[in-house]
Amino acid sequence: MPAVIEEIIEETPTIKTFVLRPKQSFSFNTGQFVELSLAGIGEAPFTPSSDPNIKERLEITIMNVGRLTAQLHCLTKFAKGLGIRGPYGNGYPLEEFKGREIVIVGGGVGLAPLRSLLLSLFSDLNQYKKVLLRYGARTPKDTLYRGLLNKWSKSIDVVTTVDAAEGDYKGNVGLVTTILKDFPVDVKRAVSVVCGPPIMMKFTTLKLLDLGFRPENIYLSMEKNMSCGLGKCGHCRIGKYYVCRDGPVFTYDKLKDMPDIWD
Amino acid sequence: MSEIYYSQASQWQDFLDSLKQEFRIYLPQAKDSDYYYQEIRNSKFTFNPYRTVQPIKSFLFYPKEKVVEDLNSDQQLEDFTPTVVVGLKNCDLHSLKVQDFVFTPHLLKNSTGLGKEGAGFKEGLEIDALYNLRRENTILISGDCTGFKDVCFCLALEVLPYPLNGFDLNLSVLTDGFLVEVGSGRAEGLIKKYHKYFIKAKESQIAARNSKRQNLIDELNKQLKPQNLPPKDTLQKIVKQGYAADTWQNFSLTCVECGACNFICCTCHCFLLSDIRIKDKYPRLRLWDSCQYANFARVAGGANPLKRRTQRLRNRFLKKFDFFVDNLGLPACAGCGRCIEACPGKIDIREVLKDLAKNSVSSQG
Repeated sequence: MPAVIEEIIEETPTIKTFVLRPKQSFSFNTGQFVELSLAGIGEAPFTPSSDPNIKERLEITIMNVGRLTAQLHCLTKFAKGLGIRGPYGNGYPLEEFKGREIVIVGGGVGLAPLRSLLLSLFSDLNQYKKVLLRYGARTPKDTLYRGLLNKWSKSIDVVTTVDAAEGDYKGNVGLVTTILKDFPVDVKRAVSVVCGPPIMMKFTTLKLLDLGFRPENIYLSMEKNMSCGLGKCGHCRIGKYYVCRDGPVFTYDKLKDMPDIWD
Repeated sequence: MSEIYYSQASQWQDFLDSLKQEFRIYLPQAKDSDYYYQEIRNSKFTFNPYRTVQPIKSFLFYPKEKVVEDLNSDQQLEDFTPTVVVGLKNCDLHSLKVQDFVFTPHLLKNSTGLGKEGAGFKEGLEIDALYNLRRENTILISGDCTGFKDVCFCLALEVLPYPLNGFDLNLSVLTDGFLVEVGSGRAEGLIKKYHKYFIKAKESQIAARNSKRQNLIDELNKQLKPQNLPPKDTLQKIVKQGYAADTWQNFSLTCVECGACNFICCTCHCFLLSDIRIKDKYPRLRLWDSCQYANFARVAGGANPLKRRTQRLRNRFLKKFDFFVDNLGLPACAGCGRCIEACPGKIDIREVLKDLAKNSVSSQG
């Protein structure tokens, strides 16, 4: 389906949010992904960062890391040739989160899908017992959604950190795992949702397990090469799963006995 | 029980010639000691004793094709001329269970009941329109094997050298003609339409076919028994247990990453989507892809879970003997041996499995 860029927001030096208006209204569940294409260049999977309750606009937050994303970053408002198809995969099971404490852990641009999740939760916040956000970025200027993080911290428990401080930054310094402590939650019952680079997800998962979270309560967004999105092209296999068809959100208990899942 | 007819060789030829009015027809043509499908105009039908070089998938899922005419418009997909393919063997018919599972799961569920048997059967999400169009408009005329190649090892995968289902018509060679078994409603329609070329088979002819079939199994077993291939039911276990085995390192030493094993494989289905520009149009291509290529699983930013050749060789086996057993209830290998012939590095799937089985035994002992 063709889509028009209504707005481009520069989030950090390497990350932009594209506000898209699809030709027809577009529904997705938070955590599902779409295939975004640029005619003649290619296509890649992205999880929208916007509120799924909004059907006529779709926001996708994209880091400039590869061939397609570099081209996307060169686009300007109203550029031609964008298309989206989907949504694909299984998103976050909001029903199962109801009445529970939710610890959301993001790393880098991994906060983008989590923003969509947070916006869903905010639309019905009293359904959830407690929502916490822990977020780590490389440096203060790489911190995504700074304005929103401030705003969110007024209604939920937010702690952020950076790997390396710079300028007049006065906040926490250290990997995101260093702020995973002293949770005011019952870790045996709480759920955790983790999204970030593979190395961050690995150590966050290990830390959460140490803290007492149960494997079946840790929700991971796996990143693999998802080309078709339909469980056919074969690129995104992990064990008996296709990440596009069976994920991209998996609970850790489904993956824990498979070798090399973090590679 | 399905109907079985007898057709004299000349009548069978006439039948094929008649089909030319309605269908595009591909027949096996001999070249050296191999058989290749070729579209016929006036050539005579030759019965191929064993499988062709090309896998049947190449008629349904092309090596390179447009899947979208132009990303900026809603142009429809191609028409497809109804096609008849003659000469495929049971290994290829068996492989269609895998291809159908990927591209047209609805057909598989309806036709074979595999959805009920295969404990782990998990349907794909969508029907692939192009594959479906060709699958529905392609008549498959298979044949019993009357010989085999030295790479053939179908029986090790419990795939018989003659088909019991999955075909439209199946040929068994008899003196001066063929037994023609009907395997689908549309094939029954063709027989009715061209009834003058067929008479009902006699019990004695069917008995003769059955004894030829048994003889071939005996012959093939003579070739296979000394090879000591691990039994089908152990393959998933040995491949999983061998995850950290030296096998992958040892066998990938001669891999040149050409992808021939995947492309020639009747069950391999992986593809790559590629967007290009031709003047003012933006078509999307679909190309066969190979998990032996270095960038197969690479993502933007550079992470690559299949960075090393050993990992990629292992991926090929895990996909065939682990993933598909869990998802479909069948290993994705029909024992056709094409990959053995195609590999310039002489990597032999049978030797890899034997090596894994050997390690599996020694690690237990």
